[in-house]
Amino acid sequence: MDRKWRFFLALFPVWSVFLGLALSGAMLLFLDLNPLDVYGRMVAFAFRDMYNFADIFAKAAPLILTGLAFGFAFRAFLFNIGAQGQFYIGCLATVSCALYLDALPGFILLPLCFAASALAGGAWGALIGYAKARFNANEFLISLMSTYVAVAIMNYLIRGPLIESKGEYPQTDVIAPHAIIPKLIPHTRLHWGFLLALLVAALAYFVLWKTTLGFQIRAVGMNRESARYAGIREKRVFVIVFLISGAFAGLAGFMEVNGVQHMLVQGFNPAIGAEGIGIAILGNAHPVGIVFAAILFGALKVGGNMVVQTSPVPSSIIGIMEGFVMLSVILSFYLRRRIVTALEKKKLRRD
Amino acid sequence: MFIENILTNTVMMSTPLMIGALAEVLVERTGVMNIAIEGTFLMGAWAGFVGAYITGSLTVGLLSAVLAGVLTGALYGYITVYLKQHQIVTGTAINILAPGLALYLYRVFFGIPLLPLQVELLPTIPIPFLSDLPVVGRAFFNQNILTYAAFALIAAGFWVLFKTRTGLVIRSAGANPEAVDAAGINVERVRFGTVIFACAMDGLAGAFYSIGFLGLFTENIIGGRGWIAFAICFLGNWNPIGVLVGSLVFGLADALSVVIRTSGVTMVPNEFVIAIPYILTIVATIARRRFNVPAYLGIPYVKEGR
Repeated sequence: MDRKWRFFLALFPVWSVFLGLALSGAMLLFLDLNPLDVYGRMVAFAFRDMYNFADIFAKAAPLILTGLAFGFAFRAFLFNIGAQGQFYIGCLATVSCALYLDALPGFILLPLCFAASALAGGAWGALIGYAKARFNANEFLISLMSTYVAVAIMNYLIRGPLIESKGEYPQTDVIAPHAIIPKLIPHTRLHWGFLLALLVAALAYFVLWKTTLGFQIRAVGMNRESARYAGIREKRVFVIVFLISGAFAGLAGFMEVNGVQHMLVQGFNPAIGAEGIGIAILGNAHPVGIVFAAILFGALKVGGNMVVQTSPVPSSIIGIMEGFVMLSVILSFYLRRRIVTALEKKKLRRD
Repeated sequence: MFIENILTNTVMMSTPLMIGALAEVLVERTGVMNIAIEGTFLMGAWAGFVGAYITGSLTVGLLSAVLAGVLTGALYGYITVYLKQHQIVTGTAINILAPGLALYLYRVFFGIPLLPLQVELLPTIPIPFLSDLPVVGRAFFNQNILTYAAFALIAAGFWVLFKTRTGLVIRSAGANPEAVDAAGINVERVRFGTVIFACAMDGLAGAFYSIGFLGLFTENIIGGRGWIAFAICFLGNWNPIGVLVGSLVFGLADALSVVIRTSGVTMVPNEFVIAIPYILTIVATIARRRFNVPAYLGIPYVKEGR
């Protein structure tokens, strides 16, 4: 395949993002809004000052993790669509730690919150993997339903034992200052958690491509039969993959609670799991791709929110943009495949 | 009285589940998982409401819900059946898009109303004499048109699926697509057609919530009920009879949760009562060991040598 084509094809996800944004822009015409104007303002807002620009990465940090949660399991051809629930369980674990153990100094409390969220999310996820391994249950269904159970647990705890001391709204008290992840850039919302998320992405890459476990995971993902014949215990892989995947989603809770919100509000961030799926697909289930896709979604959120707050553009446009971007990325996979096949056929004919 | 109430609510709440789960059975029998079911329910609820509100006619509402289902199905079917893209991924994209689209278009049509707009509910149609039967009369013979349609569809679905040539083709498309192809039938067309038909049914099921139950449209009007229908298809073993039983069980869970919530019994926290259907699904998925999964479920059909 010649160079020009390869470059063109490598940029396919970028074209498809533009196509998705163009389609969403067309929707704005229904409200007599000028899409170019709206997008122009979105970009202007996102890069207006350090606060907004840094906010893109603050928003991206948990999205990287929920993206990894889906992407990591996808490599084993398992479908963890319950990242939302694992995220909430992680939130509950970290906020409980931060509220009840606030006598501990920050350098112990923060790692503790980190570990608690990862462990809780991981355990919640591992249950799905266990159901799959032990009972051959459909992991898609179970992970889907587990989210609704996690929401019930969260609502119950926030209305009951964890409710704020005023007892007025379904939310927890604000966590102690030393339980908050330190800022990366002062006077913005960007905290060290973003770098931590990058580190976790690097770890996911390392595990998947540089370790025996990763080889087993990918082998199970590519062909379960041959993996079994090669002596890989697939059931063990199911549990481990869901444990790790759930831990990623749980960590996203640590980022949101200890990094940005500093409390837990009932039903906050209700789409972070679904957005993770979109991000994983856009990033081709590769950690590097996921990081870039998460930053793009972060920018859409920051720019989108600002435009929504300052003009008559409704907030539902953000969901439309995410949906259309996902759909056009899927279409681009199809087109890329067609082009690659056509090029190879041509090459074969020439030889 | 109490039993009669519970029974009536059970049948009512199981209506959309029956329609949606039966649709899922038909489409999964051809080998396509309709992951977009939740989004299609929502589009149906939206279109049903908008159609009914603007024209003042519930019939138009129902027709718009079907149309919305057909359009959503065409999008999902084209990408998964003809372009052979991954079904779970495509379905998720549509499920993210649907709420955004529905809310946005609601805004386009109605602006920001001070109070939620309302429509009249589908009227209940009492069947003469039968509706006066004790206990079961009100539950089975004094419901709205969608409930009667649901029972009729279950019977028709069973008959078509197992007693007609069409049913044979549908089942074979998921069990042995090569054989269908060899018989000179276009597998893609069978699958695409069934996706559209199923999504039309999903649209109706969604409309039940907006114009048959609540009389308004909100963002979380479906709240995972599409997924429950999806699960019932699995748990009912891809069989319309299983769908009937499963939907009634989940309808009962829904009805009980309403009763428990309004009765002031505080033994079990509300949150967990609301979660009953989902917990039930998990338990049933784990407990049920033998499934009759269509052999080619989720696998796009690619002709050899293409």
